[in-house]
Amino acid sequence: MERLDDEVDAPRGATSREWELFVSEDPAEPLTHAGSVSAPTAAVAREQASALFAHSVERLWLCPADETRRFQTAEQSLVADDAHADADATMDHEEMAAETLQGDAE
Amino acid sequence: MISVSKLLCDLDAEGDGLRYDAADESTKSQIRDEKQRRPVVVWNVTKQCNLYCDHCYAAADTDIADGELSTAEGKALLDDLADYGAPVVLFSGGEPLVRQDLEELVAYANEVGVRPVLSTNGTLITEERAASLKAAGLKYAGVSVDGLPERNDDFRGLDGAFEGAVRGIENCLDAGLKTGLRYTITERNAPDLEGVVDLLTDVGVDRFCFYHLDYGGRGTEIVDADLTPEDRRAAVKRVCDMTRAYHDRGEEIETLLVGNYADAAYLVEYAREHMSEAQARRVYDYLRVNGGDPTGERVADVDYQGNVHLTQFWQGYSLGNVRDRPFGAIWEDESNPLLRQLRNREAHLKGKCADCRYAGVCRGASRLRALTTEDDLFAPDPQCYLTDDEVHGPAPFDAGTDVANPAD
Repeated sequence: MERLDDEVDAPRGATSREWELFVSEDPAEPLTHAGSVSAPTAAVAREQASALFAHSVERLWLCPADETRRFQTAEQSLVADDAHADADATMDHEEMAAETLQGDAE
Repeated sequence: MISVSKLLCDLDAEGDGLRYDAADESTKSQIRDEKQRRPVVVWNVTKQCNLYCDHCYAAADTDIADGELSTAEGKALLDDLADYGAPVVLFSGGEPLVRQDLEELVAYANEVGVRPVLSTNGTLITEERAASLKAAGLKYAGVSVDGLPERNDDFRGLDGAFEGAVRGIENCLDAGLKTGLRYTITERNAPDLEGVVDLLTDVGVDRFCFYHLDYGGRGTEIVDADLTPEDRRAAVKRVCDMTRAYHDRGEEIETLLVGNYADAAYLVEYAREHMSEAQARRVYDYLRVNGGDPTGERVADVDYQGNVHLTQFWQGYSLGNVRDRPFGAIWEDESNPLLRQLRNREAHLKGKCADCRYAGVCRGASRLRALTTEDDLFAPDPQCYLTDDEVHGPAPFDAGTDVANPAD
């Protein structure tokens, strides 16, 4: 377990709750991860996932991404641990408003 | 992307190689070896935006959203894209200029060999920012304008947005940055199309990209404001007519159509009706090389949290996340049955798409629109505007043309 000490804890839902999808094309085969759908509820997530995968799979599981804990080895991390928390690169609300339509102000 | 000016007026442009050339014949630095088979990657660097546009596919708003890739993570993603051979990264949003590290990321993309281009609303582009983006190595800025001033500002939710975008365009051009227009055609702004082009050519813009509305994000809320098939056909004809009129006058504007590959079939029909059979054949052969709708193949999207999508418009489904797996591993993973089916969509298309004689240049156009309106991934695209006569019948030309040299 000590090897899997890098937790990927960044949120996964861009516009609403995210649901991890696991599917199986062959009833005898194990489920495999097949991405995720954005949906406010499990019922809507089921509708969306079915529309995408009903053509091809025999079994489909949905798992709320915010209840999924993701661990990996440090080598698999996108960046080293200490680089996750850069200073926020995005303007705050006030600065953004002040900068808008200033193209001819210089 | 379909270049009307290339196909109807033989205008050569920088991006044409990505669309029509065989890789080994390209002289352009970004188009070599396997790069041509890799997708152009749209990276939504933030969800935050200073405007609130009716049709925003990313459902952006003014609030900072959780989980944005940091500067270090962004550079690691760019390394990942470079390793995989992605030819181009399109910095998008939200509004990408709200990220104060944008220049740093652009410079890094340039350094690792992924061509950096930008999609922006233009209203944050000061002289200083345009100069710093140019210095960082940005190759192109596409600025969104969706109508003449009143209509654009209404669409974008801010008075003065049109003038602000024009100032931004002027600042880019003054900085020596290649700059073009992005225009999403809907029922509301279709009448303004020629007026906006006339106005912006006077400013110095010579590249115009016309997008069809895709039904993702807030775009799903204005499906009713989309063009009817008849009006869409008329709008596309106006783009073709306008392009030829400009070129006839010696003004070499570049015009492109994006987001509806029924346009590919229409351009063949247009060339046959208004130009010649030989021109129609040339257009058809170019478009066969182009390969039809690029979803899940020649275009990819990474959102601000690192989720990988089939196109930038299809934000509701993600193939995986670059914080968990490298981009290339996600994109190549055809154990995903959806990805596999989309890449072999000709075998699954239904209705009039199933035996359309233009299937080779269209490939069913937008699967997202079919899914949104019909709840069926392989139903016909509701935006198809081809007539029954155009859809049915034998292939327009035999398929014996030399793909590597399609103009001969």
